[in-house]
Amino acid sequence: MRHKREAKITSPVITLGDDSYRIMSIAGFVGIAGLVLAFVFALVFHSGSAWQRFSYGYLVNFCFYTTISLGALFFVTVHHLNRAGWSVTVRRIAEILAMAIIPMFALFLPILLPLLVGNSDLYVWNQPGWTAAYAGHTLTDLEKLKGAYLSSGFFGIRSVICFAIWSGMALFFFGQSLRQDVSGDPKLTSRMQNWAAPLMIIFALTLVVSSFDWEMSLSPMWFSTMFPVCFFAGAVMSGAAAIALVALLLQRSGRVTDEITVDNIHDLGKLMFSFIVFWGYVEFSQFMLIWYANFPEETFWFKYRTWNSGWMIVSIVLLIGHLFVPFLALLPRTLKRSRKFMIGATVYLLLMHWLDHYWVIMPQIGFDGKDYAPFVFSIVEILSFVGLGGLFVAIFSFIASNRPLVPLRDPRLSEALNYSNT
Amino acid sequence: MATTVEQPVDNTVEIPGERAPLVLGGLDYAAITTTVCQVAERRRPPLAWYIAFWISFPIMLMFGALIGHLFLKGVGVWGNTSPEYWAFDIVNFVFWVGIGHAGTLISAILFLFRQNWRTGINRAAEAMTIFAVICAGTFPGIHIGRVWAFYWLFPIPTEHLAMWPQFRSPLLWDVFAVGTYFTVSLLFWYMGLVPDLATLRDRAQTKLPRMLYGIFALGWTGSARSWHRYEIAYMILAAFSTPLVLSVHTIVSFDFAVSQIPGWHTTIFPPYFVAGAIFSGFAMVVTLLVPARQWFGLKNLITIRHLENMNKIIIATGLMVGTAYAIEFFIAWYGGVESESFAFQNRVFGWYSWAYWIMVTCNVLVPQLFWFKYIRTSPLLMVIICLLVNVGMWFERFVIIVTSLSRDYLPSSWTYYRPTIVDYGMLLGSFGLFMTLFLLFCRFLPTVAISEVKNVAPRPHH
Amino acid sequence: MVSTHAHPDHAKAHSAPRPDSELIGLLAEFEDQDALLDACEHARSSGYKKFDAYSPFPVHGIDQAMGIRRTMLPFFVLAIALGAVVLGVGMQWYANRAVFSPLFPGFDFIISGKPLWSLPANIPVAFEVIVLSSCFATFLGMWYLNRLPRLANPLFRIERFKRASDDRFFLMIEKSDPQFDADQTQEQMRGWGAAAVEAVRLDLTDHQIPLGLRRIGLITGLLLLLPPALIYRAQHATNPEPRLHFMPDMDWQYRFGAQNVGPMWYNDRVPQFFFADKSVMRLPVEGTVPRGGLETDIELFRGIKAGSKIPDPSTAPPLPTTPPADEQEAAALALAQAALEPEWVTTFPAALTVDQAMVERGRDRFNIYCVVCHGYAGEGDGLVNERALELAINSPIQKGATTNATWTKAKSFHDPEVAKQPIGRIFDTITNGRSTMGPYGSQISTRDRWAIVLYVKSLQKAWIDPPKPTIPAANVPPGASDARPSNVSPTEGKSDEKTDPPLLDTKGN
Repeated sequence: MRHKREAKITSPVITLGDDSYRIMSIAGFVGIAGLVLAFVFALVFHSGSAWQRFSYGYLVNFCFYTTISLGALFFVTVHHLNRAGWSVTVRRIAEILAMAIIPMFALFLPILLPLLVGNSDLYVWNQPGWTAAYAGHTLTDLEKLKGAYLSSGFFGIRSVICFAIWSGMALFFFGQSLRQDVSGDPKLTSRMQNWAAPLMIIFALTLVVSSFDWEMSLSPMWFSTMFPVCFFAGAVMSGAAAIALVALLLQRSGRVTDEITVDNIHDLGKLMFSFIVFWGYVEFSQFMLIWYANFPEETFWFKYRTWNSGWMIVSIVLLIGHLFVPFLALLPRTLKRSRKFMIGATVYLLLMHWLDHYWVIMPQIGFDGKDYAPFVFSIVEILSFVGLGGLFVAIFSFIASNRPLVPLRDPRLSEALNYSNT
Repeated sequence: MATTVEQPVDNTVEIPGERAPLVLGGLDYAAITTTVCQVAERRRPPLAWYIAFWISFPIMLMFGALIGHLFLKGVGVWGNTSPEYWAFDIVNFVFWVGIGHAGTLISAILFLFRQNWRTGINRAAEAMTIFAVICAGTFPGIHIGRVWAFYWLFPIPTEHLAMWPQFRSPLLWDVFAVGTYFTVSLLFWYMGLVPDLATLRDRAQTKLPRMLYGIFALGWTGSARSWHRYEIAYMILAAFSTPLVLSVHTIVSFDFAVSQIPGWHTTIFPPYFVAGAIFSGFAMVVTLLVPARQWFGLKNLITIRHLENMNKIIIATGLMVGTAYAIEFFIAWYGGVESESFAFQNRVFGWYSWAYWIMVTCNVLVPQLFWFKYIRTSPLLMVIICLLVNVGMWFERFVIIVTSLSRDYLPSSWTYYRPTIVDYGMLLGSFGLFMTLFLLFCRFLPTVAISEVKNVAPRPHH
Repeated sequence: MVSTHAHPDHAKAHSAPRPDSELIGLLAEFEDQDALLDACEHARSSGYKKFDAYSPFPVHGIDQAMGIRRTMLPFFVLAIALGAVVLGVGMQWYANRAVFSPLFPGFDFIISGKPLWSLPANIPVAFEVIVLSSCFATFLGMWYLNRLPRLANPLFRIERFKRASDDRFFLMIEKSDPQFDADQTQEQMRGWGAAAVEAVRLDLTDHQIPLGLRRIGLITGLLLLLPPALIYRAQHATNPEPRLHFMPDMDWQYRFGAQNVGPMWYNDRVPQFFFADKSVMRLPVEGTVPRGGLETDIELFRGIKAGSKIPDPSTAPPLPTTPPADEQEAAALALAQAALEPEWVTTFPAALTVDQAMVERGRDRFNIYCVVCHGYAGEGDGLVNERALELAINSPIQKGATTNATWTKAKSFHDPEVAKQPIGRIFDTITNGRSTMGPYGSQISTRDRWAIVLYVKSLQKAWIDPPKPTIPAANVPPGASDARPSNVSPTEGKSDEKTDPPLLDTKGN
């Protein structure tokens, strides 16, 4: 290369600085108010099943924000695993998003604690005799078999282990990365690379477990080995979208303007594109295999997501909106290189990812074993979205606070700055 | 001649911030050209090549003879019986298609991931892909029974048949998937070859090679305007090949997963098959390239770093396969469906448990040795491990196909499958075909993508 | 080998122009890619338009240096890909759904309980079609845009240009560029750091493809014609040899006759048997009665007079196979045939109750089984019969066959020969078939067959000769020239004679 850019941070502002406190207080207030309002509206509109409605809405949004965080954690791990160069400049944002997994555990307690005291509004398996809803009478053997795995205590243990592992990973990568900002020691990079491989294995296993626990066990009779892969595909896509969105918003506010180049955004766009296709691939494979083999013990899950007219529309919106529209929109390179367009695209993709979780979780509400409740859209879900979103933003700005938003002295910084997509 | 002096550079060590060299021995552009071209240009290949060729070639002839035997006698010469209507034929098919995934993966996916180290190995891997798909296509081709009616598989409008293929059958999807994959791999491989054929054409000293290389080089000049379109076309082909390579083994997995045979119907099959295919394909690339770089003096272009990276991918995909085994088992238990959990118990403890344990040992346990750097950088050890991986992957298909079929829903028809000598002969024969084609390729075509390696080679200093 | 790359640097851009060649441009050689990039930038800034760079690998940044515009190839491929979506889905829809197509109709067929048109099952093939079409579009489009293959290129005549595919970098400025001036351009090129400059000449004398290549092409072309020629010949020739049997075990499968003894299959050369006594099936248990063993009443079950002698065709002298030559022979044949006939019953067997209900039943069965050939009035004009006759007349002689497709016209019950047949004979015809008429014994129960016989007799009884056509000939539609009365007319005419309800009521059809 004849004209090489120096590996130097040139942007005037590279931290959130004092703004972080302002964001934290506003977003925190919005968050708490949103959650309180969500519960109030649940009481008003769904008086008979207020806690159930609130829990379901909460779970959708909890899964949504947690998978963003997990997607970012995957991004960081895979960056080190591949000794990637191009993604150095956006890695810090991913690290901060990944760090959000630690406080997310606190936000998991509204799901976990009621379960431990025996509530079965969300997870029906927490109540003995739940199989009666399916079979007309209790299937003792099956309940005993599944009870070995689906019990509140074991569920809690698994959740704690998963969150502990993720928190440890996030802390490790974030801590090493911050240390490198000071020392610039390339050995830190080597250490992260060496750890990335075993950590990736643990990450994959915990992701599988949590996808089974949080979402698949909502319908405890149903099973699909592809389910974790679908969960993973959505998580990585939303992680990349969130990283790009945060980067673009930071640049709009005049931060890290020089470091995160348009080629970085272009590459993130490609990553989103590929995981949109991957998501479509795994979701289609799952649907197709169940549809074709036509086993009643599997098809019912899809049946109620397509036979009920309301849910049918959601399914079609998801298919078109999560696959076809972004596929065509992210195809032209000029669009992927337009910062303005990418802000809209990432917001849109995150909304679609939200709809993905909504489509998986919400049809289970009010399921009596034979029929699902018809599609009812409620403001409760919107308010939990706003509420948990506010808390997520507050968490982000708390972690970011005065820390630099790009790695300052990463040995591969120059590679990322000089990368061109031509 | 070529400068194949082993330099004391260990390019498996990379200091963050500097990329480890991918071309060793201080080769400049001319030396890279000479190193690759001398294989095709020299009068006699090394003795090892002759030995390998004269072992593989008779085995290939034997394969042809066995196919003729099959045509004359019928598929009864195989051990396939009720209920194992699929046995070695389909096991071999899936095995070879799987092997054929590495080439396109290296040339397409690693290209899109900007893994520069792929340049040293992509040509050989793509060639291997094509030969493996030829082997793969042979098996379903000869197992259809009435071989002369094979053209019924294609949507050809004919008046006398008054019949069309059934497009809702997964077996027909296979025809399209494998056919497309073979064609596109061939296009991709040939397109990559053209600039290198031009190099061979320009270096040829005698008339016949010059003419032959010249015709296939299509008059390539290396013009910048041509390169521009060529690179974009290469990128587009890579972008199409990536979902294609996923789709092929996905569709192969559909052959099983859309059915209702216990142990076949599980939704994770598509990505699990793809991971397994990459796993076995990479193992085969390593197995072939270690001797090839030795015999043909390509050690400076196909370095230990290339091999180490492939071994790392082998660990990664091996773990994916292992995870998929675990998820399958978990769901077989968690689902609470009796036939499904029986199928899996039967795999582990049943009549074919020996095959299952070979599979687990070779696919999950043995590759873990690659966590040790000494093992994954030692050519001899990695070849041994990769051979075991391919044994394991062959048995994986055997376990899936034969175990499930021999113990289906009707206990009265349960049998124990016994392959015949023809089955074994055809399995061996397909290796003969594969090796013969690969050895011919090494002898007459550039084994390494010359122009691509030059792009990642250190810049010459004047 | 390296020695061949030694290039004596004689940059004779202006060597005496040969009359048989023409200057088309100047070629400058550079030693590394940065020099080439600089030269490209210079060439561009000097206003040159028609120039090209040559390198052994794609040089990073040369597109900007030369000002190459992005190719249209991706848009071309996108268009093909979108077209392939239609092609991929349409092909499957046509093949499995377009049964109405007059030529090559589609083939619809339900498998595994899937709807006849079910998109999820069509996605894999559609996807492969899209990929295949797009990849061909990319591959062929790229060569087309690059104007390749072009095997003869003046550059290939320049010795130093051979290193363009090895380790050297070249820049060529074409003579057709308006800025081109042989001297000045050469000076400029040297100024940009060219190691050597050489003239590129187009050879005007030799436009022929080398003779060797032409010969190879001709031979290859002829050889390629061979397989289609052989296939054509095979399709249009008659071969008296029996056809080849590949995989004979599919054509002649191993099987054993009933009650045989023998191994069923071999496992590792050890014969395997179904049963300990090695027979292939069990003997019937004691007291088993063979099918039809209880049908002792031969009047009822066979229509033959009880106590009469039943001729045995196996002991009778064989009938002549050639058609009778004269009346005498015909009479002898008729006699011989009559000798084979048993003595048919002429009254209904005692086991039956002949009443109105039996006639009704007979009509009911007749209208189901018999009318398709014999017609409602038993004139032998059923729809199947008519259509079969039409086909038999129109059908071309089949390949290898010596006669037209054959069809024996269904008998009219009012034919005097048929009318005088004893009822036992009619019963036998229904039961065992005659000529092209198949046996109905297995499909119609014994009593129903007798009911049909009764109905046939009542049809015969009710029959009067049809009136001569009264319709003017001009009004007769073509194909109706023999002007048989319509199906309904005979029965209508007879309704006053019979006390039965009208023999044809449309609700029964």
